Amino acid sequence: MSGPLLEVQGLAKHFPVRQGAFGRLSGHVRAVDGVDFHLNAGETLAIVGESGCGKSTVGRLVLRLLEPTGGSVRFEGQDLLALPDSQMRAQRRRMQIIFQDPYASLNPRMTVGAMLSEPLMLHRLAPSDAARRTRVGELLELVGLRPEHARRYPHEFSGGQRQRLAIARALAVEPQLIVADEPVSALDVSIQAQVINLMRSLQARFGLAYVFISHDLAVVKHIADRIAVMYLGKIVETAATDELFRNPRHPYTRALLSAVPLPDPTVVRERALLEGDIPSAMNPPPGCRFHTRCRFARESCRVDAPLLADDGTGHSTACPWWPELPPAPSLVEDRADDQDRIRLARLQAAFVTSQMEAT
Amino acid sequence: MTEALLELRGLTVDFATDDGVVHAVDGLDLALGRGRTLGLVGESGCGKSVTSLAIMGLLPPENSMVGGQVMFEGRDLLSLDAHLIRDLRGARLAMIFQEPMTSLNPAYTIGDQIIEAIQRHQGLDNAAARARAIEVLKLVRISVPEKRVDDYPHKLSGGMRQRAMIAMALACGPQLLIADEPTTALDVTIQAQILDLMRALRRDTGTAIILITHDLGVVAEMADDVAVMYAGQIVERAAVRDLFARPEHPYTVGLLGSIPRLDERRERLPSIEGRVPDMTRPPAGCRFAARCPFVEPECRAAPPQLIEVAPGHLSRCRRAPLSQVAA
Repeated sequence: MSGPLLEVQGLAKHFPVRQGAFGRLSGHVRAVDGVDFHLNAGETLAIVGESGCGKSTVGRLVLRLLEPTGGSVRFEGQDLLALPDSQMRAQRRRMQIIFQDPYASLNPRMTVGAMLSEPLMLHRLAPSDAARRTRVGELLELVGLRPEHARRYPHEFSGGQRQRLAIARALAVEPQLIVADEPVSALDVSIQAQVINLMRSLQARFGLAYVFISHDLAVVKHIADRIAVMYLGKIVETAATDELFRNPRHPYTRALLSAVPLPDPTVVRERALLEGDIPSAMNPPPGCRFHTRCRFARESCRVDAPLLADDGTGHSTACPWWPELPPAPSLVEDRADDQDRIRLARLQAAFVTSQMEAT
Repeated sequence: MTEALLELRGLTVDFATDDGVVHAVDGLDLALGRGRTLGLVGESGCGKSVTSLAIMGLLPPENSMVGGQVMFEGRDLLSLDAHLIRDLRGARLAMIFQEPMTSLNPAYTIGDQIIEAIQRHQGLDNAAARARAIEVLKLVRISVPEKRVDDYPHKLSGGMRQRAMIAMALACGPQLLIADEPTTALDVTIQAQILDLMRALRRDTGTAIILITHDLGVVAEMADDVAVMYAGQIVERAAVRDLFARPEHPYTVGLLGSIPRLDERRERLPSIEGRVPDMTRPPAGCRFAARCPFVEPECRAAPPQLIEVAPGHLSRCRRAPLSQVAA
């Protein structure tokens, strides 16, 4: 193995804030403030966090849709930030992005066929009209639509189908990396599951790597190999998915997990409710940025900014005190397979079967 | 059984559109007891929000037609004079919406808006109404309420705005609170705060709640009873534990299967293929038939009725109880 597909170090983006009639610079929003991670080919890294934590900005910085204030982004070992525009454009073929709102990200005046042909022409991926038409049909079938849909316009599709179109457009240029920014957040749950399943099967088929940006821990659990939790512009914890859910270490990760309502009325959980709101990224708190809401905060947390430290197993935590915290309440209950569960599992299996037949 | 606080009898809502008449809500029967919390669940377009607007009398009369009865404390709200409804709304029944920024008036302080409601319904003088406004802001755990009362909505964070909305709704001590996706626009840690607050208020005030949401996690935590809607109809209704443990309608089964869960990991999420029917021309038989793995030819022939398949457990599926289907 020759190193990760994507390697991000010290990534930062500070947006200037201007005020008044003369646009006087009054400060910076430190949206992303020193972020490190890597992603291997064929793997999914999820970046999770709440509004304003900087997760979407990270996604755009990685593709250089925004110019970083600092740090480096290496793709197959090559520093993207050092590339001249022309070479960067060529590299974009290898990395694509899908957005949350499939209604806003498709051009309403273009047919699906024209929309999917455009990247093929730009990157000279299909030599003739006929080859392009064939490829467009292939792409539509890949995402569970039909070749004859090429003649239609985006408004003729439902939300879930539009997200399939966005995925087809991303796939058109045969990328190795797709940044997916809240790709299922605008969809109804039953449709969400369809799109998650589709993304997983495409990944297995083409060896795609995903940076999957989401606020939804449950969705992330079903798609990610590793998870990075962000708070106020910094990563506070990264770990393999199962490890993170089993042994959440950072107080923020724990609070996030305990805040998600479980769809099981029999579960009574002890809640570690966070007080207050997320502080402004213009004036992030000194020391640990989470200390204003952390119930385990000590004096030193107000002064010393913690580093994201790896324990040697790939589980990194930006809290020096985690080994001293009380154990996190377990999320996965070992439930007995009673009759109701067996019955429900059998009934639900019918939905998986009919889904296989449909695709 | 004591008299229900709210009872919907054959509620229908039709909208006139360019594509024809959309039957958004089609014959809804539902009863809610005092102090109970009912979760009204379904996906976009199932009619759950339209139902709540019909109860509140907030649908535009130009293009909507509401039929049936909405019995509230023994009176049919649909046949009540407009001024009588206005007296009830905000006082006996109140509503909070998903996006507090669009329901708060940006030109007035939150205090002004709460005070207006209090004076309209309770006739308190300025000082007393202001004191009451500060009291309800305190109730929803807004810090320094005597200062916040003079803030404009844009000064507050999303979570704070939703608290202010709840304060406004509760200011006159309503018997019924309709909460339409009250936490959907909020971050999960803020959602947990708001749900916690709603639980405490319900305990202290005994207000009955209709909680409209697509989030089955929120329903599991908050509701006593659940009604699942699909294509304008209730397809299943049960006590919350029964619904999650032994769902009796295939749509509920599929919905429960398709939610990604924190407490389980599955290789492939069961998903419901296809999409909801066109509500200008709903199918003649079962509306879920086209997406149902258990469908039989008879399902498409005649519309199924909502019948009791276990004590207190209603399902609109002719194959229910589904235990035989699963065997």
